[in-house]
Amino acid sequence: MDFLNHHVLSLLTFVPLLTAFAVLLSPSLGLARWVSMLGSLLTFLLSIHVWYYFDGQTSGLQFTEIHNWIPTFGIKYIMGVDGLNLLLVVLTAFLTPLILLSVWHLDGSKQKAFLALFMSLECGMLGSLVAFDLVFFYIFWEAMLIPMYFLIGIWGGKNRIYATSKFIIYTFAGSLLMLAAMIVLYILHFEQTGIYTTSLLDLYGAPPAYPTQMWLFAAFAIAFAIKVPVFPFHTWLPDAHTEAPTAGSVILAGVMLKLGTYGLVRFAIPLFPEAVVSYAPLIVGLGVIGIVYGALNAWMQTDAKRMVAYSSVSHLGFVVIGSFALIGGGAALSPEALTGAIYQQINHGISTGALFFLVGVIYERRHTRLLADFGGLAKVMPWFGVMLIVATLSSVGLPGTGGFVGEFLILLGTFMASPLAGSVASLGVLLGAIYMLTLCRKILFGPITHEENKNLSDLTPREFAYLTPLAILAIVMGVFPNLFLDKIRPSIENLANNYKSYKIVAEAPALNEAGDKRAEASR
Amino acid sequence: MNVTIPTLTSEFYGASLPVYSLCVGSVVAMLQGVSKRFGSDKAVLAVLLLSLFAALGGVFFGAPSVETSYLNGGYLVGDLGRVGQGLILGIALVVTLMFSATFLRRKFLRGEVASLFLMIVTGMAVMVASDDIITLFIGLELSSIGLYALVGYINPSRRSQEGAIKYFVLGAFATSLLLFGFALLYVATGTLRLSDMAQILPKLLDHNWVRLGVLFALSGLGFKLGLAPFHLWAPDTYEAAPTGITALMATAVKVMVLVVVVRFFAGSLGAVYDVWLPATMFLAMVSMIVGNVMALVQASVKRMLAYSSVAHSGYMAIALCALGGTSNDFPVAALLYYLIGYSIISLGAFSVLMWLENDQNDNLLIDDLAGLAKKHPWAAFAMAVFMFSFAGMPPTVGFMGKFFVFNAALSNQLYSLVIIGLVGSAISLFYYLRIIVRMYMSEPVRVAVPLVPNRSWLVCGIVGTAVVANLALGTLLPEQLLKSLVSTSQEVAAKKVKLAPVAKAH
Repeated sequence: MDFLNHHVLSLLTFVPLLTAFAVLLSPSLGLARWVSMLGSLLTFLLSIHVWYYFDGQTSGLQFTEIHNWIPTFGIKYIMGVDGLNLLLVVLTAFLTPLILLSVWHLDGSKQKAFLALFMSLECGMLGSLVAFDLVFFYIFWEAMLIPMYFLIGIWGGKNRIYATSKFIIYTFAGSLLMLAAMIVLYILHFEQTGIYTTSLLDLYGAPPAYPTQMWLFAAFAIAFAIKVPVFPFHTWLPDAHTEAPTAGSVILAGVMLKLGTYGLVRFAIPLFPEAVVSYAPLIVGLGVIGIVYGALNAWMQTDAKRMVAYSSVSHLGFVVIGSFALIGGGAALSPEALTGAIYQQINHGISTGALFFLVGVIYERRHTRLLADFGGLAKVMPWFGVMLIVATLSSVGLPGTGGFVGEFLILLGTFMASPLAGSVASLGVLLGAIYMLTLCRKILFGPITHEENKNLSDLTPREFAYLTPLAILAIVMGVFPNLFLDKIRPSIENLANNYKSYKIVAEAPALNEAGDKRAEASR
Repeated sequence: MNVTIPTLTSEFYGASLPVYSLCVGSVVAMLQGVSKRFGSDKAVLAVLLLSLFAALGGVFFGAPSVETSYLNGGYLVGDLGRVGQGLILGIALVVTLMFSATFLRRKFLRGEVASLFLMIVTGMAVMVASDDIITLFIGLELSSIGLYALVGYINPSRRSQEGAIKYFVLGAFATSLLLFGFALLYVATGTLRLSDMAQILPKLLDHNWVRLGVLFALSGLGFKLGLAPFHLWAPDTYEAAPTGITALMATAVKVMVLVVVVRFFAGSLGAVYDVWLPATMFLAMVSMIVGNVMALVQASVKRMLAYSSVAHSGYMAIALCALGGTSNDFPVAALLYYLIGYSIISLGAFSVLMWLENDQNDNLLIDDLAGLAKKHPWAAFAMAVFMFSFAGMPPTVGFMGKFFVFNAALSNQLYSLVIIGLVGSAISLFYYLRIIVRMYMSEPVRVAVPLVPNRSWLVCGIVGTAVVANLALGTLLPEQLLKSLVSTSQEVAAKKVKLAPVAKAH
């Protein structure tokens, strides 16, 4: 227990990587499947452990691990969770086994490589979520691109090479900007304090001077905005989603996009608080444009997957405006909106993940995703219909689903910050309902127009097994939001109220004292 | 100048063991060339390995603990020289082993070829460990002449001979530039020793011969380094040479020249940084742009790697520019880290190519790699690691090197260079990905020449080691390497001349 509490985040991050190696070395695909499933379940259990023992009374960094990594440059190995990343960690670990289940039936000579890449992708995502040192974070952030690149490029659709190259080059170019900004920040911090450090624990609360801050913030924000993606950096997303295999789309929409919004909240806002005040109108404006633009585009799509992809652009616009809702003349961020933004990330992961799964289900049966090829499926696939409706309703934010809680909190906070942005964003909610219900109607209802659709089989037990947890969670998150929000509230309030002089202290796990000293000593 | 006849101590023989053992090896190999009895490929390989290992032993165990100068500066051993010699010998060892395991084995393991090869290595080992312009020049010529010959001699064909002639003509021209530069510097300062030059130059700041001399010398060295606009020989020669020799040119030659340039910039020419800094910045920028853009449109893998090596020389020149700044002593450590990383990646990538080549196809096109992942998954995996590493993606040594170099540059306010470097990196990803796309995402297009590599444990071991070293230096071990490089860096920084008067003049 003692060991576990001090190394749980390292284990959480590197168990998937070890699993990836084990998968590569397994002699048969059957064994590789079980190995990857066990590895991902173990990771999920570890994440539940973190969630369960997470102390919801404090805003500090918990389960912290600090080691020296490259002391010559002051670079450290720091991992920790607080309220901002706790739920995302659990979401990542939760989605991975479901995705593995969704590809359980696929075989082929390369399937082992698929599983291995997927597990290393999980390592990259979890690592960048829990890393608390700029360079350490950057390694995971970039390394994550490599498995995703192969997932789209090898298992994708017709136009996959174009899509995957666009994806990786866009993201890589943005990240390079961030890398330069990181180095400048590091040098400026040295000039201010005489200490070489890339640790967030040290960099928080010592922002660089104002005009430089603007440049650095812009570099960080562009890198994250490409990942989110914020309009006008979104053009890679529909291509990547359309070409990616189902599993890739689910993880891309479910977790990878959230890393962009998480990065904005974790890095861009607290590191450069004064720049936030200047840029907030621009970012909120782009967020609102993204909401409406994404929604209108989604409405016009004829391909179900592209539609869900554009809906992501729209929904993540909400997360972005929620993260930048300044109140009191820039004195604080709206805690409601920020809470909503964090909560909405999880909701979007679950509802959009489910939608991509569902599109994958009918694509596997019919090998088409065009809405015109469907219609009346509710009669032949009733359970599929139930799942699709639950996912849709959660996605449009019907009260009683998680989406409602998130969007309501965001809009509440945004109205207080800027009534105009709030009103336009509300329009996005309306549009969201229109296009998502159109999707539902075109697939599920009306007469069966295509002969092939008459004999489609309903969900298999395996498909049930990975869709049901998502459906249940979508409703639980709507009915019992406090189950999730109670734990993360102190962290959010700390950031929202003190973002101008944000500080976070590393706390040891409550269960152990000795390890705390060890961590202190190695600092 | 008082010339004393140096007393040769046993310490000197220990310190110069690398050079001696290579010389002896070279002579023995030459004799083997005319002997039927001792001239078999195994015997030649034995001589090559023996002298390389003996030289490596000398680097690690023979050198004195502090930087020591022998023969009136003719031979200077310190951390920097040892790092250079160690790297060069390591590279030569890998190249030898790769040659011995691939289709050129019989052609490479001939007495005269081995003799020339060891002569090249001798020249390099001399050049990185000299404090004297004459010795330095002799080392350079020794290595260059061998290289000119080996480009065309090992596996003669019209193409390789054309490459050799191009390399020779342009190289001879560059050497004359260098020599002219050295002559001007000598006339102005009256000394051949680099460390004396450092003391004299601050008094001659506005001396036009000094300025001209520095620029001429820089052009000559820039040629050897493959910096644009002196890079025109690189693509043709890289393509024409047997791949093992290409690997040697891409790595060991860069090591040799960069070590010397570090000695110049940080030591002897430190005072006139206002001459070489703008010139080097220009070379770095042009190289990054030309290298990265031209690499985009290449069909041959070796040509693409040639342009990519021009771009990488540009990145390394960024670190050289940082030497002109006033900041800390990291630039040298950053440069050496990048250089070591780059050498590992290049050797790995060229080794994979050598492994795939055969006597029908010794100049692979990018299209030839199509479907490699299916046929040889491990070779494709290794190549993919090297390509991502070249592009500077974590978790590889390529990223760490780039991070340290940009760090050194930004500490010295070289913003424009870093911006071009970043843009170049983004462009470079595109052409490195082309190889990966071919290997993993497309079907074979040209089946006329199938890639049937031999399954040699030696090759697997070398490529595997390169992959592991690459990843380890990118994740677990950067501190270990960096620590030793920082001590080298401090040795160099200790010699840095105070720049205050020059700074005031501006």
